[in-house]
Amino acid sequence: MSVAERVPFPAVVLPVSALLLAVAGWWALTVALALPPFLLPSPAAVAARLAGNPDLYLANAVETLRKILVGGAVGIAVGFSLALVVWAVPVLKRAIYPYLVAARVLPKIAVAPIFLIYFGVGFETAILFVAVIVFFPVVVGTAAGLDRTPEAHLDLLRSVDADPVRTFLAVRLPHALPDVFAGVKQSVTLAVVGAVVAEWILSNDGLGSLILVASENVQVDVMLAALAVLLSIGLLLYGGVALCYRAVAWD
Amino acid sequence: MIHVEDLSVAYGDLRALDDVSVDIEPGEFVTVVGPSGCGKTTLLRTIGGLESPTAGRVSVDGDPPEVAQADARLGFVFQDHTLLPWKTALENVTFLRRMAGKDPDPEGARELLATTGLDGFEDARPAELSGGMKQRVAIARAIHLGADVLLMDEPFGELDEITRDEMSVEILRLWRENRKTVVFVTHSVPEAVFLGDRCLVVAGSPASSGPAASTTGDGTPGRVVAEFDIDLPRPRDESVFGSEAFGRQVAQVRGALHDDA
Repeated sequence: MSVAERVPFPAVVLPVSALLLAVAGWWALTVALALPPFLLPSPAAVAARLAGNPDLYLANAVETLRKILVGGAVGIAVGFSLALVVWAVPVLKRAIYPYLVAARVLPKIAVAPIFLIYFGVGFETAILFVAVIVFFPVVVGTAAGLDRTPEAHLDLLRSVDADPVRTFLAVRLPHALPDVFAGVKQSVTLAVVGAVVAEWILSNDGLGSLILVASENVQVDVMLAALAVLLSIGLLLYGGVALCYRAVAWD
Repeated sequence: MIHVEDLSVAYGDLRALDDVSVDIEPGEFVTVVGPSGCGKTTLLRTIGGLESPTAGRVSVDGDPPEVAQADARLGFVFQDHTLLPWKTALENVTFLRRMAGKDPDPEGARELLATTGLDGFEDARPAELSGGMKQRVAIARAIHLGADVLLMDEPFGELDEITRDEMSVEILRLWRENRKTVVFVTHSVPEAVFLGDRCLVVAGSPASSGPAASTTGDGTPGRVVAEFDIDLPRPRDESVFGSEAFGRQVAQVRGALHDDA
């Protein structure tokens, strides 16, 4: 039995201490070097920014979260459905699966300016962009997962002449879940990136936009405050997916 | 009754079985022994309708295996336990019966688990069970399915020897109590002799089983080279392993295997 298992709290205490130490170091740096706040504000100054105008951050956070959730849901739904189709139709799989895998190397961010030309600025364009970014890990994860069922399990079901749809739902899909969720976990991280980039290029609201405007005005404290909110959103979403997975996980 | 007549099975150019004929009576316990790659598993899988004959025919109570499959008359137990890792022992037992479209019988499943020594483990998941326990669940699943015929493909192959012996005694008890026809494939001669009413010795080496064979392509397809009635009194238990008659029968079967090799 390891130390962490015997005493539960050091597992939490160490990373939290490291975080506090880092924040303290940041603070000490701003004080010791007497850095001007417009270059590097102290943690207290950033916290004051957040506390001073919570509505601004909340309203923008809601905008960003909407893009992540709606775009993410669309991307996951389309990715999952396409993976089912590609998996079920071997000809399709051979024809397009290599490109789905290869498309992972393409920096999807680079297509945002193209979207701008075709679809213009707006919520819908941002959603589309987030969905495209989210789509790829889900489609690849799901397609890989559906092939994960051991042959012997399929033999077992064939030996009672089980209905293919029931076989799929009862055996193939559960066997695929770990890979599907691995894809979704990657997607959640990418969705946050996608939403911020969308707010730079494809819409004029949300935390990404706030950061961009603050940068033009050299308001580092605002930018850091917005980053802190983004970080919280990302962690919450990742945690949410991890919890969902734990509810259905078997591995 | 299982009827196998002039059965040949080939995968492309690879001939796995050649001209095998066997009849197995209802309630009979037949063991099939032979080295790895001799075609014994192919024979079992063809009886169970998982492989198709290239020539000859197989019937189960007069029907083709596909019909027997659809009626849930065939209960497979594989070397790999094939339990679903996300289901409990009880759910695994009832699962196959449900997939076969038969009426659920949760009470029957519970009783069966209890008689296979898994009382108190109904809600355990496969990861929490030992190798022997997992195979007990897999056997209970096949019996609970209501199959008349149990097709067992080296079910104890991955267990340690002590557990194997225990399981051998156990499977004989379950067979007595449930009156099934059993076809049991193994590469262990003592296991084949201990369990069977009759022991079929299969020999052969399909062309692709070794590097030399695959270049020359001269592998010999599997055939039944000998057949022994096992003359040991039933019910059999561990004491049989030490008996002189048992040793003599094992030596006979070994002899048949080596004659052919």
